Amino acid sequence: MREIRVWFSKTGSARFISHLDLMRCMTRAARRAHLPLWYTQGFNSRVYMTFALPLSLGVSGLRESMDLRLEQDMPVEEITKRMNKVLPPDIRVLDVTEPKMRPGEIEFASYQIFLPSKKPQSLSQGIQELLQRQPLLVDKKSKHGVLQMDLHPELNRTQVSATPEGVCIHAVLPAGCNFNLNPHLLVNCIETYLKITLNAQIVRTDLYNAGMQPFI
Amino acid sequence: MINRETETLLSRVQKPGRYVGGELNSVVKDKQNIEVRFAFCFPDTYEVGMSHLGIKILYSQLNTRDYLWCERVFTPWLDMEEELRKANLPLYALESGDPVGDFDIIGFTLQYELCYTNVLNMLELAGVPLLSRDRKGLKNLVVAGGPCVCNAEPIADFVDLFFLGEGEGVDLEVCDLYRECKKAGATKEEFLTRAAQIQGIYVPAFYKVTYHDDGTVQAITPNHGAPARVKKRLMMDMDNSFYPDKFIVPYIDIIHDRVVEEVFRGCIRGCRFCQAGFLYRPVREKSPEVVDRQCHELCESTGYDEISLSSLSTSDYTQINPLLDRMLTWSKDEKTSISLPSLRVDGFQPQVMDKIKTVRRSGLTFAPEAGTQRLRNVINKNVTEEELMKTVNTAFSGGWSTIKLYFMLGLPTETMEDVEGIAQLAQKVVDAYYANPARHKGRGVKVTVSASAFIPKPHTPFQWEPQDTMEQMEEKQHHMLCAVKSHKINPTWHDASTSLIEAVFACGDRRLGPALLEAHRCGCKMDGWEAGFSFERWLDVFRRSGIDPAFYANRRRSFDEVLPWDHMDYGISKEFLIRECKRAYAAQTTPNCREACSHCGAAQFGGGICYERD
Repeated sequence: MREIRVWFSKTGSARFISHLDLMRCMTRAARRAHLPLWYTQGFNSRVYMTFALPLSLGVSGLRESMDLRLEQDMPVEEITKRMNKVLPPDIRVLDVTEPKMRPGEIEFASYQIFLPSKKPQSLSQGIQELLQRQPLLVDKKSKHGVLQMDLHPELNRTQVSATPEGVCIHAVLPAGCNFNLNPHLLVNCIETYLKITLNAQIVRTDLYNAGMQPFI
Repeated sequence: MINRETETLLSRVQKPGRYVGGELNSVVKDKQNIEVRFAFCFPDTYEVGMSHLGIKILYSQLNTRDYLWCERVFTPWLDMEEELRKANLPLYALESGDPVGDFDIIGFTLQYELCYTNVLNMLELAGVPLLSRDRKGLKNLVVAGGPCVCNAEPIADFVDLFFLGEGEGVDLEVCDLYRECKKAGATKEEFLTRAAQIQGIYVPAFYKVTYHDDGTVQAITPNHGAPARVKKRLMMDMDNSFYPDKFIVPYIDIIHDRVVEEVFRGCIRGCRFCQAGFLYRPVREKSPEVVDRQCHELCESTGYDEISLSSLSTSDYTQINPLLDRMLTWSKDEKTSISLPSLRVDGFQPQVMDKIKTVRRSGLTFAPEAGTQRLRNVINKNVTEEELMKTVNTAFSGGWSTIKLYFMLGLPTETMEDVEGIAQLAQKVVDAYYANPARHKGRGVKVTVSASAFIPKPHTPFQWEPQDTMEQMEEKQHHMLCAVKSHKINPTWHDASTSLIEAVFACGDRRLGPALLEAHRCGCKMDGWEAGFSFERWLDVFRRSGIDPAFYANRRRSFDEVLPWDHMDYGISKEFLIRECKRAYAAQTTPNCREACSHCGAAQFGGGICYERD
């Protein structure tokens, strides 16, 4: 048995697909691709499949990963080719590697948030000022109800720039199983404080460990 | 691909995956090369519509034509509808994202009467005039198919053309004709006049309906050279009938998320309440070789690991054992499970169940339909209590302990004794469990009794029958509840008010058109859903439209009355239906098609089971 890490992108229509739906979609694709899959040995046998870190609904991912187990070896190019032949166009396999880090090591994720705007300069300035605010209190919804938290300490790796069509935010936010910050929280915060409605396009670009090394 | 404007709405709605398209095996064509664009509309949610086999067959088949692009449209859920209206954006098709109003043909499938308001709502969301007479040009031709077409009169004002019977074949003929007429610049009337000559095509505008003073139909008279009776279309050779080798694989979880393979059409049984049992005659089977090949191809193209062998009564498939043997040669290795829905009480064979043991063990469902033998004879549900007990005992010995029993309340000739019989039958199932030494020890039995309301349906022997009034129905529901003595039995029932509306539209005539329009104006939609249905609103609509729902739902019709659907010919003779109705009153059963021919009329189609016995 060999464990592999499949890297893929999830964009376009696929970003509206929940994590559970993605798992089903990937299981079917792996079956259609006739990968020599390893099945769990439980009562309800299923394809072994774990994802590094689920994406929230509506967010695109450029470098997502899932781990599979194969019963026999198969060349990396072959896996990629077979999967891309059977996946919907908006989910593409980019590479297949040997897992080096455990998903539990993930501490950060980088995002590109684009906010379309007719007045990019003033919006950009408004956001810059907002990010200086201390504390920057937001409501974070969790299983245990709504918690108020200070966003400011988490925004030290965030850059804001204006483009002709809107504002671009590059953000590195805490991510992973210990403390995860949904990028929608930042967008909602901007909407609340600046009293505007945004149609944010959010892309997760990469995942990192505690030392800010890319997840591999 | 949906456009940016629509995309921005998606962050505010539940299950955005319903509205984005882009699924595996969905068909995207270059619209520059397309002459006819067809919007296939299912008047219910994505999850319901995508589970429907008919849309899968016709979508694939229509797209085999190079000049045509068929796309899908579903009813947006209430939240998305609100967003679309607020943003002033039109209803769009999933493949191209283009507004439905851009399409040449807008086709609906009518699976149940309670979706009619959704049809109107979808047309409005598309910005298309609702009434057929207000759509002057050939563009935006509104067509409809499906079982409700067997009495399409209540919705006739809104639809230009109906397909009777099975769609494969006739839909392509109509599209070919449309293409020709569009090229030649023909008018809508010219096109419809020619289309009405095709067997299976009903153009309601070409029929004039007159009424007696008492409100019953006097005559239905055709014009424009349309036939006096429109005969249904059907596929006689199921092995060579079109079946898709690909299904669209949805991203989101839908109701029936698996390969569905049709093993035969029609039903040998002739249960007297069941419309499908008469509309789809005669029985036509697919050979096991073809079923096996189609299943394997579909698993290959979709990645599904579950197959459902579908039909009106799959245990009546004569080749079930050879078929399962064939399929098991590959399904086991590929970890694919096979399930058989719609099992009959008398068709539960242990050897069949052994073969499909890989399937996950959920509850078993059987439909005795009535509580006493007398009433089961009346409805021609030829199942005995003995058979039911034998079957549940087999199931209990095999480890099952959850049984669901389907019944109907309000069947013709029903008495309170019959209603009590439902509870008594369920009790006998509970008792059988505890008397069974091979039962799963340490686990209790659960028997769910689900009682729906009888709805008289056109083209059945009960088409002349009144439905119980809501008061009668509620009394029976209460009586059934009181007769249940065990906590192991869980009785549930259908709301009598939705069944009343269903009966009105099932047995209605053209005078319901204005009421439907009024209902739409008052906000009636998603009537099949609790979130959408409002009985008070419907009563209000009927009152304002001068419609007495009891005239349609609770009135006994005489055998010589002209019925609003008499010009729809499904190949079943009225004499046969009258014979069956009289046998019902005498509690006489009728043998099934495999035992003996009862001369219903379906033999005129020249094939299927009617000729198997010779």
